[in-house]
Order: sequence, then structure tokens, then C-alpha cells
Amino acid sequence: MPEHKIGTREEWQAARDELAKLEAEQADRNKTIKEKRRALPWVPVEKEYQFDTEDGKKTLAELFDGRSQLLAYNIMFGPDYTNGACPGCTSLGDGLDGSLVHLNHRDVTLLCFSRAPIERLTAYKERMGWEFPYVSTYNTEFPFDFELALTEEQARQIPEIKEMVENPPAWLIEWSRQIGAELKDGLREGPTWIAFARENGTVYHTYTVRAPDPFVAPYFNFLLDRTPKPQPDEPRTFRKDEYPD
Amino acid sequence: MTKHRSGTQEEWQAERNELLAQEKELTRRSDELARKRRELPWVPVEQDYLFETDGGTKTLADLFDGHSQLLVYHFMFGPDWSAGCPVCSSIADTLNPQVAHLKAKDTTLLLASRAPIGQLLAFKERMGWGIDWVSSAGSDFNRDIGFLNTEEELKPFLEGDIPVTVEQNARMCGTDAGGYVTEGPGLSVYARSDGVVYRTYVTSARGLEPAMAYYGLLDRTPRGRDEQGSEPMWIRRHDEYDS
Repeated sequence: MPEHKIGTREEWQAARDELAKLEAEQADRNKTIKEKRRALPWVPVEKEYQFDTEDGKKTLAELFDGRSQLLAYNIMFGPDYTNGACPGCTSLGDGLDGSLVHLNHRDVTLLCFSRAPIERLTAYKERMGWEFPYVSTYNTEFPFDFELALTEEQARQIPEIKEMVENPPAWLIEWSRQIGAELKDGLREGPTWIAFARENGTVYHTYTVRAPDPFVAPYFNFLLDRTPKPQPDEPRTFRKDEYPD
Repeated sequence: MTKHRSGTQEEWQAERNELLAQEKELTRRSDELARKRRELPWVPVEQDYLFETDGGTKTLADLFDGHSQLLVYHFMFGPDWSAGCPVCSSIADTLNPQVAHLKAKDTTLLLASRAPIGQLLAFKERMGWGIDWVSSAGSDFNRDIGFLNTEEELKPFLEGDIPVTVEQNARMCGTDAGGYVTEGPGLSVYARSDGVVYRTYVTSARGLEPAMAYYGLLDRTPRGRDEQGSEPMWIRRHDEYDS
């Protein structure tokens, strides 16, 4: 017998109906928040940025690829990472291609940014079999202007980062090995979603969300939230081609 | 200029901080819901369901494939349809890449439908999915969890004004509105312990929204889903969009 409570179908249904009310309330709350998100003011982006892409240099406006909205995930893959991107960000990236064609048909360009040079992003994208555009912010002020990365100086001044660098837990030591960079460099990249709108030739910054918001987590977490057994509180993640078994 | 209200960085940040507090509250409640879902009693599955798979006939216990948790997405694909539901297809697009990561978390994710296995495998190949797909044609698996509706149950719906989205989706599947809504979409979840299979969680309708990963993404874009007054629904199978 499992240690879990066993019930009849009727008992389950009664408990499920109660839970359904809470789930519906949560869906309503989410709806309200979505409306507030859309009501945020748009901030014009006044600086010119030049990004390295798989198709040469592009401005921020050009990254929209003719669409009016741009949604981008900043994968932790800094210039100092010698073994590839953060495995957690990588598993989030694995979930994006399924939505790509559907979003593109809703006037949204979906892509990922990272700060490592474009050649390394392109090689990593090929290894992972990804289709979404992968854009390098290498040598631009963009990641610092939009808080997608910290300068060495900034990183040194954040007590939480200082603590993680000086007294890393086991999983973080392992993470450092997985990315092939020291923590003082590895932790300078911010796992972040960022959104922009383009209208009448002007680009506007509209939204940013970063960890620990659950949106900045692999998509499969929504499924694991619905499985019978809790997952161990273990932040270790693996790239899909590097699982130990 | 934009029709939308624009503001300075400082104005944006102030409003963003306020919204962030609400987003955090939503997250806290979402964790709470996950905990409550796990408190539901487990119900032993006593029926001997049999499924046709690309590896022959299998029981529900076999579908766990050695893992202790099983997630089944009930994909709308009726026995006499010419193709699977376009919305379920877009859901499968987003579920497909999750299989490898879930496996590492002791969880098997697969699709189940009532169409014969040959039809499912042909459609899976067309869509380029790697996810396992089983046919529940030979059993009451769908009916028992409420994902198969009878003509009588559907009568009130079919006698009313049928939404154009239903008509459109039905046409895309080579069936009519009645045939289309006979099949119900859903997610059912199972645990296996000491050789017994338990049903732990079932959801449908609005509860499936998180399975549509693109909606979660659209919810963070400047214009959101932008579906007001846009009927029929815009979703197509990924190889059937115009241009």
C-alpha cells in the first residue's frame, strides 16, 4: 500500500470539486494580473543597439522581423562560460520551439538572447536542435541597460551573489562545472524574460520578469505541479543530452 | 507615437514593482494549489484497460514504462476523423519537447486518443512528434473519466448555437460539430505503487490552459492574447498556417 491517502471515486470527486473552485479563483486572479501587465506604460527605447545574429548585424527594431511584438528570453550563457549555457535555461529553451510557429502567427517574434559571442550561440543552438533565433548581446550595452547582466563591479556589491560565490552549495558547485565558468563570472547573467513593442518606427520596452517568477522556469514544471509526488527540492538540472542515465 | 500610454523608465518601474507584488502573491497561491492537488485521495484503477501502442497491446500499468508517475494528455482524435484536433495538435507541439526532462523526473508523458493506432502513428509522423501516442479505442478509458460524450449528453449543446470555432475545428478534422465534441480534451494523472495503479488528478477545459504554452507566452507580450472578437479561433496545425 502506498503511504498516500486512498479513497473511493466519490471521495476523490468531492475533494476534486472543492479544489476546482480554488483553481477557478486562481484563473480569475491570473486574468486580472494579465490585464494589469498590459496596462503598464511603454518606455521608448532611445539608444541604438547592434546585435550579432545568425544573419549578420541587426538593430533592436530589425529583430522584430516585421512583427509588432518581440518576446525574448535571456539564456544565462556569458562570455566566460566554456561548457555551454546554463542547463536550467537550456531546458526552458527546449520548450520554446513548440510555440514558435503559433506565436509568429500572432504577430510575435520569439527569440533568445545571450551574452556569449554569436559563434558559440550558433554552435550551442545546433547541438540542442533549436529553431528559434538566437541573438548575441556580446559587446553591447543592452544587457546592462536592461538588467540582463551585471558588471563585475555590480556583482561584487550584491550580498546574495557574494554569499553564493564565497559559500556555494553543492548544486551550485556542480552548476559551475556544468557551465565551465567560475561562479563570480557565471552568476553575472540574469535569467530573464523581456518584451518590446514596435509602433510607427519606435521600439518600446513593455515588460521584464526574472527568476524566481515561475515563468522563468522550464515549461514542464506546470506538469510536475500536477503529478502525485512532490519533486525533491533540488535545483540541479541537466541538458537533455547530458542526463546521467 | 503610440496609442498605448507611454512613460519614463521611473514611471514604468514604479508600476512594475506594484505588479510584481501581485505576481508574487499569485505564485504563492499557485504553490499552495500544487500542494492541495497532491492531497487529493488516490483512487485505485480497477478496470483492466488495454491500449494499442506502436509496441503492441499494453495495460495502463505498462504505460508507466518503469516510472512511478504517468501523465496522459487526452488528444481529441475520433475513430472516423481524417486528422487530429488542431488545438490539441498545438498542445502536443508544446508537450513533445518535455518528454525527456519529465522522464528524468520519474514521469512518463504520453498522448491517448480513440482513433485506431495506425491513424495516430501516421498523424504523429506528419507532425514530427517523438512523444508516445496510444489508442484507447478498445476500452472505456475515455468514457470512464468523462472524456467521451454520448449523443444524449450533447443534445442540448448541438441544439443551441454552435460556436464557429467548433464548426471550423470539426471541418478541419473531417467530422461534424457533433462528432467533434464527442471527444473531450483532458489531462489525467496516475501513480503506480506496489503494482497498483491509482488515478490522482484529472483536469479539462480551462484547467488545460497551462498546456497551451503559447498562451503563457502571449500573456507576457504587450498586446496579450488579443482574441476579443476574433472568431473563429486562430490556431492551426503547425503545417497549415497560411504563408
